[in-house]
Amino acid sequence: MTFRDTLDLAVRNLKQSKLRTGLTTLGVSIGIATRAGMVSLGVGLQDQFVGRFTKSGMFDSINVLPGSVGQITFGPGRGGRGPARRPFGRNAAAAAAQAQSQSPSGEVKEITDETLKELAALPNVREAYPGLRLPVEVKFGGDSEFNTATGVPMSVKNEGAFQSIPHGRFFADENEAACLLSLDLAKRMNDANPAGLIGKELMLNYASSSGSGQAAPGMPAGVTRGESKCTIVGIIERETGPFAAAGGVSPLMIPLPKAREIFHASPQAAQMLARDPTRTSRPYPSAVVKVKSPQATQDVEEQIKKLGLSAFSLNDALEGAKRAFIILDIVLSLIGSIALAVSSLGIMNTMVMSILERTREIGIMKAIGGSDGDIRRIFLIEASAIGFLGGAAGIVLGWSVGRIINIGANVYIERQGGTAGNLFSLPWWLIAGAIGFSIAVSLMAGLYPAARAAKLDPIKALRHD
Amino acid sequence: MPAVLETTDLRKHYQMGDTTVRALDGVNLSVNEGEFVGLLGTSGSGKSTLLNLIAGLDRASGGSLRIFDQDLATMGSMELSMHRRRNVGIIFQSFNLVSSMTALENVTLAMMFAGVPRGERETRASSLLEAMGLGGRQHHRPRELSGGEQQRVAIARALSNQPRLLLADEPTGNLDSRTSREIMTVLKDLNEREGKTIIMVTHDPGLARQYAHRIVTMLDGVVVDPSEVPA
Repeated sequence: MTFRDTLDLAVRNLKQSKLRTGLTTLGVSIGIATRAGMVSLGVGLQDQFVGRFTKSGMFDSINVLPGSVGQITFGPGRGGRGPARRPFGRNAAAAAAQAQSQSPSGEVKEITDETLKELAALPNVREAYPGLRLPVEVKFGGDSEFNTATGVPMSVKNEGAFQSIPHGRFFADENEAACLLSLDLAKRMNDANPAGLIGKELMLNYASSSGSGQAAPGMPAGVTRGESKCTIVGIIERETGPFAAAGGVSPLMIPLPKAREIFHASPQAAQMLARDPTRTSRPYPSAVVKVKSPQATQDVEEQIKKLGLSAFSLNDALEGAKRAFIILDIVLSLIGSIALAVSSLGIMNTMVMSILERTREIGIMKAIGGSDGDIRRIFLIEASAIGFLGGAAGIVLGWSVGRIINIGANVYIERQGGTAGNLFSLPWWLIAGAIGFSIAVSLMAGLYPAARAAKLDPIKALRHD
Repeated sequence: MPAVLETTDLRKHYQMGDTTVRALDGVNLSVNEGEFVGLLGTSGSGKSTLLNLIAGLDRASGGSLRIFDQDLATMGSMELSMHRRRNVGIIFQSFNLVSSMTALENVTLAMMFAGVPRGERETRASSLLEAMGLGGRQHHRPRELSGGEQQRVAIARALSNQPRLLLADEPTGNLDSRTSREIMTVLKDLNEREGKTIIMVTHDPGLARQYAHRIVTMLDGVVVDPSEVPA
């Protein structure tokens, strides 16, 4: 008996009792829809979460901070952010003293230009650059405010937050006297028409120890006011969130060489060099290492730690989140599995009933030469066909219900000020998986009834009415 | 004439509660190729049990049962189903057609199990039904056919895999006398023109005497001389 013949027989049997087949299939489809819906929700939430991270473009970045082996330190008052964020007017000597107390010689590895070269030489590293966030006074028109300027390398063009620049453009080259503004800052400067700021000039003031600037009132001796003009070339939408800072996005962005210049000309640098003649430059508060592929991040992170530096990447946070999602997926799957278990009992019941009804027919088939195997296959294929139909219908059902929930949820999310997205995701593997799974579950449910049918005694079956 | 069937001390016992029922209790029987044997006996004599064993629908408890030089006692369930689809064609009192299938489909079903290709199945089934005088009724379902017509479909089905041995269990038991004669004529023709060996179970001595070459009488699970049977 060929597979085609068996299939034909199974299908005609199913057609024979359309109502029962239909109801059983509906039961299976509800089970599959629930289960697939739960997986879909898990995947959708994960996509939303991970997708938002990916948009920040920071999967291939590692933040490097000074530190000793195995020590991960970041946060205010220490390492990267501390010195750079020190308020403008604060006593530089005290600051330097504090900086030194934090770095007893030999214990803490600092980030210098040599360190950057070391980092850049590591395998799988695309580039390494200092993470510079400088306190500056921004002057525009008659107004001024203190803010942070970030040094941005040319390589981040078209990456992460710079992927799309709503107004204007990225720096033309690294020596351009240009700056990029965040939309927040731009709105503060010109609420009505932020885009109109493009082409206008800003003045940046900062503390400097070089002689070029004018003496700053209220500052220690030797500290002058540095000045730098820049043209606003673009406005980017700032991606808010806990890791935005690591993304190199701040209210104001200037080309990295300019930021380096300001950093090395700072009074803190001069103080440090004066105190320790062996130094050639002020160490950087942090560095960013770009890896060639996100997969290499973990490995490179290990290597950086071996150099005696602290390192962390979004991947670390993401690993934790992924684990949380696995647990969520398991819980959702379990809920879905209960629905599926119920529908598989439905299949079993339908098959058992159908065998009871068709006992005589089974007897006839055996008497005219049907083997146990033939009978078993007919029933298994019937069960699989119910599974296939139920799986396909379940996907359609699950998708429809998902869409409806999604629309409702997005209305709510938007009302709360969030961004709408797809809470349910239906990748092709989920469709194939759900149908495959449905067939497998139905086959399992059909095993016992099919075996029972195959083992029927033909003589008793023929006497059955 | 070579023996198609040979039984030696064939026994079939089964438990019914505490008592052992000896449905067959040492049957010795030999049937030659081309014979038309009438298996006669009262109800409970064991004649149907014997037919079921020959058909491979049931297993013997002891003794030997050789058909076409194969011992059915040693066969597994797969081999028994092969025996049913190749060596024998069975005709039942209650026709045993699949009610949801047309006459043609009922005949092709048997060939489906035997692995006959689709196209050939349909041609063969069609010509068999034609030969049974059912040319115009191929697409009717059993409930749309008369008893005699249903039995003709069953005979076509029994012949579909070209067995040399036809087994008939009270083939006219559910038919009126005129239809009975028609069906018996069909069987007689198959025996005479196509050389099919036929073993027919019946409780009607007249019918057996009229059509069979030889009558085998059974009583309480053994073959007996007809004179021993109480009237």
